[in-house]
Parts: sequence; C-alpha cells; structure tokens
Amino acid sequence: MKYMSKFTFSILLILTSFFVIAQNNKIDSIPPKIEKYGVRFGADLSKIIQSFYNKNYKGIEFVGDYRVTKNYYLAGEIGNENITVEDNRLSFTTQGTYLKVGFDYNSYENWLDMRNMIYIGMRYGASTFSQTLNSYSIYNTSTYFPEAPTVISGEKYNGLTSQWIEVVLGLKAEVIKNIYLGFSVRVNRLLTNTKPDNFDNLFIPGFNRTYNGDFGVGFNYTVSYFLPLYKTKSTAKAEPKKKK
Amino acid sequence: MKKIPLLFIYLLIITFSSCEKDDICDASTSTTPKLIIEFYDILNPIVKKNVTNLAVKEINTSSSLVFNGTSKIKIPLKTNLDLTKYSFILNSTDTAIDNEDFLQFNYTRQNLFVSRACGFKTNFTLNPITPFIKTETSTPDGYWIQNVEIITSNITTENEIHVKIYF
Repeated sequence: MKYMSKFTFSILLILTSFFVIAQNNKIDSIPPKIEKYGVRFGADLSKIIQSFYNKNYKGIEFVGDYRVTKNYYLAGEIGNENITVEDNRLSFTTQGTYLKVGFDYNSYENWLDMRNMIYIGMRYGASTFSQTLNSYSIYNTSTYFPEAPTVISGEKYNGLTSQWIEVVLGLKAEVIKNIYLGFSVRVNRLLTNTKPDNFDNLFIPGFNRTYNGDFGVGFNYTVSYFLPLYKTKSTAKAEPKKKK
Repeated sequence: MKKIPLLFIYLLIITFSSCEKDDICDASTSTTPKLIIEFYDILNPIVKKNVTNLAVKEINTSSSLVFNGTSKIKIPLKTNLDLTKYSFILNSTDTAIDNEDFLQFNYTRQNLFVSRACGFKTNFTLNPITPFIKTETSTPDGYWIQNVEIITSNITTENEIHVKIYF
C-alpha cells in the first residue's frame, strides 16, 4: 500500500467505504467460507456504447479472467478498434487489433460468500494496426500569407506494432448472481513502438491516445459472467476479526 | 445498494472522458522556415550593408513587409506553390529614388510531420539550376540588386543564411 500514490489510495478509500456500507448482514456464527473458482468473461460496455453514438469510432473489447489462487487471477483483454481523430491540425484513422495478458490481485477481503473485487493488476499489451493520414495543415509562424489550404493526404501506413505494459486498478461487483459489473483505470507505458516514416502513432488500439512521452491512460467498464468450475471450503480463518 | 458502484463508475467515466485536446503548438518548435536573406556591399563584398526602407511584397499580396536599418531579413515562402515571386523596393518611402526589382524563387517542397499540436511543416529546396529569376519593372529603372548568391539551397532552419544579396 505504501507504494501507491495518494490519488490511487484515495480512490481505494472511497471504494472501500461503499463496501463497508454493504456489510450490514447480521450473522453471528461464521460458516465455513466457500470459495468458488472459475472463469469470467465479458465485454467492455464503454466501447460498445461509444460505437453507437460516435460516428468516428468502432470498437469492441472482450475481457476474461481465471481465478488461479484465492487472490490471484489470470486476466486478459482482446479487442479491435477503428477510430478517426479530427484534430485542429490533422486528421487520421487508426485501425487494429490488440491483446493484453496479465494478472489481477484482489486486495478486497470478502465477507461470507461474496465475490467482489478491488484489485490491482498488470498487463502486457501488444497491438498490430495501420494508420491512415487523412489530411493535415502546414504550420507557419509567418502570417504574411493566408493559411495554406489543408493538404489532403490519404497515405496509409500498414504493419505497425506496439507493445506496452499497463498497471490496472479496478473493481468488480457481483450485481446479480454470477453477473459482474467492473470498472478499471489503467496507466500504460510503451515498450516498443514502430513509427511510420514522416508520421507518428498518435493513437494505438488498446493503448489509446499517445502523448509526447511513453505514457498513456485507459479505462474500461465491463459486464461479465462468472462460470464457476469448482469450489473449495476454506475452514474459516482462525477467529476472523469480528466487526459488528 | 447495488446502484452505488454504478454511480461511482459513471462519475469516473465523466472524469476521464473530459481530458482531450489540451495541447497547443509550442512557439519554440521548429516549424516551416522562412527564407533568410543577408545584404552585402557590392563594393566590399565581405561587409554587410543595411537596407533603407526596403519594402518586400509578394506580387499577388496587397500588404508588404518593410525593413529598415537591418542587413538580415526573413521572408516566408508559399507552402502551396513551388515558386514565390517577390518585389523588392529599395527606398520605398521616397518616390524620387525608389527602385523596384523582382526576385522569383523556385523550389521544391517537402512536408514533414512535426507533432499532433503543430501538424506538419514545409521544408524547401531551391531549384539547383534556376534557384531564382531576377527581373525588372516594366519601366526599367536599372537594377539595384547587383548580385544574388545562393548560400544554402536546403531551407530547413532559420539559423543560417540562405541567400546573399549584393547592392
């Protein structure tokens, strides 16, 4: 915990407070805790919704995780994005596919048979994509001539690839039996990035917008289904702390 | 109770979707270079010579750039054409002694990516055979520009002299 930034910590704190409110079940004796193991798969709702209302965006992301140990989950995402960005000085279209694999560590101690998660995780991400430079403006510090008309380009750069790592912070809450809503925020850092000649990867599928450095941010908002495969009965931890 | 995570998620989405387009092109970025001309004395070609009320006007543009008491000027080249023709009027404020010469610069252009905020810039390469064409006005008053020398034909920065004019 001491490694987390203040911001991260306060988000966790806020999150925790919600779950504390939820813990008012009145049960005196503690039955043996049943831990369910299985796979969970779902999709990112934010990308689906954006695809509907944003004419310049088409994207989908499938997510999945597999519970390996009590607190560790093997996790990953696979997706495809097609986005046209119209900035002040240039317009481009990026399309491609990405894959992210890694793990989540659930730091939330569940009560009874609840299976919520507040987790921190890491991913390795890789993307293969193409960029099309649609149009651009020439930047000129002189205002003597009226600004030259926008240059229509249409040049396409194929076979671009990027790799990066992500630090993930998120939560998953079981809203109906075996149905989870999840939210995660991510900070990404590029490891490799093949840039096209005379242009740059201003957007990378899965990584999102690039800034001048190697860092980026992302988020997803998922709905997923948990498929239980087997259960373990943990003999209740020796006298769990009794909160009232 | 189950609505609380939803609300929280919604708030986070709002927070993160609002950070976009906050970057502007930094003035220190090297973008489209201007043509740098330095003036020298024809009688003593290693000595710089200041111009007096030199009006520089692109032939199809109504306004002109006026330089006075300087030996070095910067003028823009057109980024959407392979030539720019300027009228150079020395002593432009005095109709008795003013003198107009034309210089047309011929070049090729390369558009280079700079950044998301700046877009592209144009670098110029002066034509190796006829980098410039010097002409007179229709009512000849003699050339005031005695000699033009191309120092650098690759116009990529404003840190070097591209053209020397002797008068």
